[in-house]
Amino acid sequence: MHPVERLLNLVALLLETRRPLPFDEIREALREGYGQEDFQSAKRMFERDKDVLRDLGIPIETAPTDPFEVEQGYVIPRERYYLPEIAFTPEELSALIVAARSAAGDPFAEEAVRKLLAGSEGGLAGFSVGPFAIDPGDGARLGALAEAAASGRSVRFRYRTARGEDAERHVDPYGLLWRGGHWYLVGRDRGRGEVRAFRLSRIASAVEDAGEGSPPPQGFRAADHVQGGPWGLGEPARHAVVALSPDVAWWAAAGVPGAERVRTRRDGWVEVRVPLTSPDQLAPWVLQFGPDARVLRPASLREEVVRQLEAVVAG
Amino acid sequence: MPAEPRPARAPERVRRLLDVGPYLVAHPGTRLADAARLFGIPEDQLLQDLEILFMTGLPPYGPGDLIEVDIQDGRVWVRMADHFRRPLRLTRAEALALFLRGTALAATPGLREASALTSALGKLREGLGPETLGALAERIEAAGAGREVEVLDALRDAVRDRERLEIEYHAASTGETTVRRIDPEEVFQAMGNWYVVAWDHRSDAERLFRADRVRRVARTGERFEPRGLVGAGRALYTPSEHDVRVRLLLRPGARWVAEYYATEEEIPRADGAVEVVLPTGRLDRLARLLLRLGSEAEVLDPPELRERVRELAERTLARYRRGRAG
Repeated sequence: MHPVERLLNLVALLLETRRPLPFDEIREALREGYGQEDFQSAKRMFERDKDVLRDLGIPIETAPTDPFEVEQGYVIPRERYYLPEIAFTPEELSALIVAARSAAGDPFAEEAVRKLLAGSEGGLAGFSVGPFAIDPGDGARLGALAEAAASGRSVRFRYRTARGEDAERHVDPYGLLWRGGHWYLVGRDRGRGEVRAFRLSRIASAVEDAGEGSPPPQGFRAADHVQGGPWGLGEPARHAVVALSPDVAWWAAAGVPGAERVRTRRDGWVEVRVPLTSPDQLAPWVLQFGPDARVLRPASLREEVVRQLEAVVAG
Repeated sequence: MPAEPRPARAPERVRRLLDVGPYLVAHPGTRLADAARLFGIPEDQLLQDLEILFMTGLPPYGPGDLIEVDIQDGRVWVRMADHFRRPLRLTRAEALALFLRGTALAATPGLREASALTSALGKLREGLGPETLGALAERIEAAGAGREVEVLDALRDAVRDRERLEIEYHAASTGETTVRRIDPEEVFQAMGNWYVVAWDHRSDAERLFRADRVRRVARTGERFEPRGLVGAGRALYTPSEHDVRVRLLLRPGARWVAEYYATEEEIPRADGAVEVVLPTGRLDRLARLLLRLGSEAEVLDPPELRERVRELAERTLARYRRGRAG
């Protein structure tokens, strides 16, 4: 008998039964699978099969078969086995397929979608999506941190800050944030007694469970704790206006949230209004365009850019 | 990378039969080829799996316990015993993985799947409930990840259809805009930016293009044979033997450069700075980066690069000294 057949029959039997079945009865019912003469080797094969199925996520439960709890039986509770019915449109499933396949090397997401496909309200035969991938770069520890955040566990890991300081951290995960192509863990840093953000790509060790965590405060938002580049988050009080050359204008502002085109001048330069947090944060953004960008206002930003340029020229 | 598919082992085959079976029951007459593509199983293996499925059943083999599999003209009909009509629950790891990937993508500007993804995740959240997702659904956020790329759909479709494209491309490092023919093999996102890896017929070499710097895409109607170029996970800079090895001192405010670019020989200094070697094909591409880093970075070698940065700074300063022009 093919092992696949034996495993499927075992699942079917344990799903069908209304009461926990001791191994004797399983052996009796699936004689083709576990009927070999040597009881011990049949039992061993059953034990291996049970482990294989549990690894696949099949909830095989053990329960006593008599009031005196002399004998153990096995059963798969249906309510724990079956996926609740969730109906998806073909568009929704196509989108989920794209999401799952974009994570190259994440077998879990792909398996999740395969289970959901049966819920499609209509055939997916015509489905055809232009594929793409997301660089897994910092995704290695994502699973462990998501698990901790989902179940309210505390974690411990070594972390190297952007400035190169290396230390062990003990964190209660409050949330996970995806921004600008990176995942961040935001949580209470127990050693420092305050909320901190950690970029996953800078975690320098495995993530270890460190016991019960603490829940986030009411109204907590992870995004409030991660710096979002020179334009930050929230409503900036002020704006800067920068003129960009025709060569860079069409793409340069696309990466700045909240940037608005003010006007296109006759010489082809484009004036763009960008949120300004502080001059020393926006100046590097302007400087990367070299002679293709010129600050129009405010004066404080223009002065900062000129000051930095003069420093370079002076050597 | 399209590797030779290895024969699946029994547990994997059980898993996929429990997935594909309920789908085929719910969608009678599905083409075998479509099911194979949808579930990522080679067609001949799917056929073998279905033959095994046909064999399974429980004594006393009553009509309700049997599984029937009919295959005609490449289409398949499965009538399952009741116990296999519905798929297995998602494990927590599976649900979390899909939820994380989906949430990240739903926030990606300009992605055509974004709204369908948002509604799908809503259904998933409601359907699975906290017993599977735990508190994660409330604890995961995504914010404006990456730049919106207008030509993204055109690039993705060309990858799918293996269609050669003509693109107008702006190289920020050199300031040059060129028109070239490319064979795009993979579109991918890394560090918040979209890239396309392609065979570039202009340089007759493999090239990586930032998708947001592709200004215009024109279809050519010509097909190409993929060369197996690797996208996601690759280094974003391909070293060449003609590279200049630039030695930089990065102060704490510029250390991110070592994370973002493929640097070599990192030597930490006591004051928190780090000395790195950055291989580059052209010094121009680094001059603008150094202008941006200002006093947080210092060129140790070659001196010629220092000169280029100074010259770039002078040209930029001229913009401020010429009054209101340009």
